Amino acid sequence: MSTLHVLSHSPFTDSRLTSCLRLLGPQDAILLCGDAVYALQPGSAPLAALQARGETLALYVLAEDHQARGLVVPALATSVDYPAFVALSIQYDKVNSWL
Amino acid sequence: MAQSLLIISRQAPWSGPGAREALDIVLAGGAFDLPIGLLFLDDGVFQLAPGQKAAAVQQKDLSANLQALPLFGVEQLFACGASVAERGLDPAALNLDEVQVLAPAELGALIDRFDQVITL
Amino acid sequence: MAPGLQTEFYMKFAIALFSAAHAPSSRRALAFAQAALAGGHEIVRLFFYQDGVHSASDNIVTPQDEADLPAQWRNFVSEHQLDGVVCIAAALRRGVLNQEEAARYQRPAVNLSAPWELSGLGQLHDAVQAADRLICFGGP
Repeated sequence: MSTLHVLSHSPFTDSRLTSCLRLLGPQDAILLCGDAVYALQPGSAPLAALQARGETLALYVLAEDHQARGLVVPALATSVDYPAFVALSIQYDKVNSWL
Repeated sequence: MAQSLLIISRQAPWSGPGAREALDIVLAGGAFDLPIGLLFLDDGVFQLAPGQKAAAVQQKDLSANLQALPLFGVEQLFACGASVAERGLDPAALNLDEVQVLAPAELGALIDRFDQVITL
Repeated sequence: MAPGLQTEFYMKFAIALFSAAHAPSSRRALAFAQAALAGGHEIVRLFFYQDGVHSASDNIVTPQDEADLPAQWRNFVSEHQLDGVVCIAAALRRGVLNQEEAARYQRPAVNLSAPWELSGLGQLHDAVQAADRLICFGGP
């Protein structure tokens, strides 16, 4: 069983990313959208936490949100559009949005 | 066969309708005899803190609804042990007898056991 | 399977929205729903819960130079003849009332109408049971 976790809150004001990383399974993936894309901010603790997961972390970021915020997508993340978001929701067994 | 649904409740009890509205989803599922699980995570564990007085903030007592869960056929009740410990709560003194306190490492496996999940 | 590849599957989605029209997640939910249909999939139901009931309000006035989300949601549901359900308990609590409920509770305003239906959480569970995937949108 694999889960796509969707996050949209800023990791600097909110604990959802931390909680998500604590229970993330080896087959799971994370999609960053909305303010959660700030987790890719260079030199930040959230980015370090994501990098610490290493190669095993399947990390996606919604294209419109990193573009809107002028963020560069690092190598550990893959930018996706909406058709790809739909495809991801099918590829993984279920979607867990951290509302 | 019915799909199972896990509700992950992360809101503290008196921070708005979130805790109640999460519980309403669980109770509705139980009323329809569906396989429902409930995990209290992060501030959601405060819903299980002893000695609460809802009337002090003119709110309805949630604990009656919580106690009713097994009567609605909802017996898969869990709390994150790390969330409980971080908040200084005693895992042995939570306000819901049937709740299983799980370590963070067990939570991923718990989510995997369900077909769908709502985290609110 | 890498993202972006055309999926061979035909999937049934249940989409639940928990945020108001001004939340980016409401717009994101609509964009996802549109992409799901464009990808040849089915939406078994849209279920609006918590602040999501405000995304169905008739009374939102958006500045002319901004996206009118409630209108876009309404048009999307109508155009594709989707089942758009707003949770009645959440709606009442937040003052989103159709004609029937406004009359029942003797409130001065009606701000919910077709294509939206007011119903209970049973409709959410029914959608979850009927769908292959449940996707929830909410927050920012």
